[in-house]
Amino acid sequence: MQAIKRKKQKETIIEGFFLICAFVAVISVLAITVFVFYNGLKPFVSNSYPLWDFLTGVEWRPGSNMYGIFYMIVGSIFATFGAILIGVPVAILTAVYISEMAGSRVGKMIRFAVELLAGIPSVLYGVFGLGIIVPYVLKISPMAQGESLLATIMVLAIMILPTVVSISETSISAVPKEYREGSYALGASKIQTIFKVVLPAGRSGIMTGVILGIGRAIGETMAVMLVCGNPIAGIPTSLFDQIRPLTTNIALEMGYASGVHQELLYSTGVVLFIFIMIINLAVNKLVKAKVGS
Amino acid sequence: MGRKAKDVLVKGIIYLATGITLSVLLFIVGFIFVKGIGLVNWDFLTRDYNEKVVYAFVESNDVPLNIDEETLNGKNPYDKRYETAIEGPIYVENIGAAIAKVAYKNHSTEREQFVITYIEKDSPLKSAIDSTGKSITIGCDYILQSINGNDFAGLTLEEVATTIADESGELKIKIVQPGGGIKSNIITTLYMVLLSLIVALPLGIFGAIYLTEYAKPGRLVNAIRFAAECLAGIPSIIFGLFGMAFFVVALNFQISLISGSLTVAIILLPVIIRSTEEALKTVPMAFREGSLALGATKLQTIFKVVLPCAVPGIATAVLLSIGRVVGESAALLLTAGTVAQIPGTLFSPGSTLTVQAYYVAKEEGNIELACAIGIVIIVIVIVLNILSRITSDKLDVFNKK
Repeated sequence: MQAIKRKKQKETIIEGFFLICAFVAVISVLAITVFVFYNGLKPFVSNSYPLWDFLTGVEWRPGSNMYGIFYMIVGSIFATFGAILIGVPVAILTAVYISEMAGSRVGKMIRFAVELLAGIPSVLYGVFGLGIIVPYVLKISPMAQGESLLATIMVLAIMILPTVVSISETSISAVPKEYREGSYALGASKIQTIFKVVLPAGRSGIMTGVILGIGRAIGETMAVMLVCGNPIAGIPTSLFDQIRPLTTNIALEMGYASGVHQELLYSTGVVLFIFIMIINLAVNKLVKAKVGS
Repeated sequence: MGRKAKDVLVKGIIYLATGITLSVLLFIVGFIFVKGIGLVNWDFLTRDYNEKVVYAFVESNDVPLNIDEETLNGKNPYDKRYETAIEGPIYVENIGAAIAKVAYKNHSTEREQFVITYIEKDSPLKSAIDSTGKSITIGCDYILQSINGNDFAGLTLEEVATTIADESGELKIKIVQPGGGIKSNIITTLYMVLLSLIVALPLGIFGAIYLTEYAKPGRLVNAIRFAAECLAGIPSIIFGLFGMAFFVVALNFQISLISGSLTVAIILLPVIIRSTEEALKTVPMAFREGSLALGATKLQTIFKVVLPCAVPGIATAVLLSIGRVVGESAALLLTAGTVAQIPGTLFSPGSTLTVQAYYVAKEEGNIELACAIGIVIIVIVIVLNILSRITSDKLDVFNKK
């Protein structure tokens, strides 16, 4: 009796241990949120820098105590939007090819290629951008440098390809065969079936892919840092203007910043964090909607 | 436009899009290989990034030249991409090695140096020791700067050869070990992979066990799942910020190996939880029921029946995690630093391969070197990709039967 009881006790203890391990994920998210927000809100709470100036300023000059990130927010949004505009159509059509048109062997090969593209670290995309895209942009640019919004958009468009392709492909493949057969039976051609039946049916999955792509683009740091130019001021007004996204602002200066300067880098992180949270919630909602239907 | 024409057009656009995706991949990989392959060799992989000045103590000993003059002149061990020969080589008997004068280009500065081009088999240089008595290797293309206090700067090659030949007994030679290699980055990457896995793997696996084997659907499980999803969606620069605030500053670990690996461990959690969960789910219920029916406890069932079946899935998780660590850069830039050195302790900084690739591209504008590091990274990624394909195929056996 005693032995059984002890055994049971041991089982309960270990179950508790497993629970704690699982709970580390929750603790981590909470800790990350608390630490980033705590450090990032400090300068506004202690009035060492006005929140309004931070959010609407268009100059970032730590030397003269000017910390405005509005032009960075604009840069981040422009770059992400441009990357989505170029990358998403290419990615969805590639997904269509893999799941609807390619034979199983060719499909497998392309899938492997896409996976490989996903596995290449972002730094290397940046190196590629710096070695190929930036010099090319410089050739057609009226500016004196190739680092620009355009170069950033190109690099990000390439980087979101694997995310959007693989998630769209999964959701397109999940569309029941009967839908396609029904469409063919009504006399629709293959292309009509794909665009009028399959893609609308896989819509929510494709949207999830697109939103994850947005998340990747807005959160990307290292690749962008090499090709965006990182100016200290100025809202981008043309494709050839340099930009300084939120992410690179953090990565560039965190190494040596201190005091208010460092805290405001955390604040930059808070703004980025809020963007990402909105994106995460959107994905969550979409996934739930899909399960519901 | 007729339907057929329209279909053909749209089909063409789809082919074009797929073509773009594939050619982008080929172009990137091709670019990195073409740009970097010239730099990848054994020295590149086994040398430190920074050149190092050492004093070598050598017992001089006359060793005759064993190869003919022509072969000696043909020996070109120094790196042609960095150096151009000016004079030499001349063979010096008492150190059993040939030296040449070269213009040595180190990134941006150009300077003239005396470089070893050939070492005889019985050369006393082979048994050189440093000031602490530890043996050191002296190889071809190492730079000689002075001998017994006689500096070589400004001398001609012949003068240097005579200076060396005039010395006897114990020689104290100032030598520069050439840099430009990535040995320290490879080792730092290995440390980072090991440390972060040691932390994240048990947490992730046990967490996944809880989620699949114990948890009843409800708020708690939803919270854990949501948290794991959130973690997966947070960009690595935010992890970097957190690691900086928590590990580096609050826990005072400094910018170091331990700060970096703990930060990366958090990044790995969702990856490991998700793949382990999926692996556990593929183990048929009947296995568990059979084990429980034989009188095994739940714990015994999990460790003796379920987990062994899920090993391929866990292996996949490990491979994916390694890929993540190797590819991680933004978080490590803030928590582990950019110093190209082998971290001596857990609390010293070190840069991984990817951080180093960033560093040389951004700070030194050296695209070739960044691409050479890129080749090493891509080879690792491809190998991991293939291995994880094999392990995940192994997991499918239950479903195939």
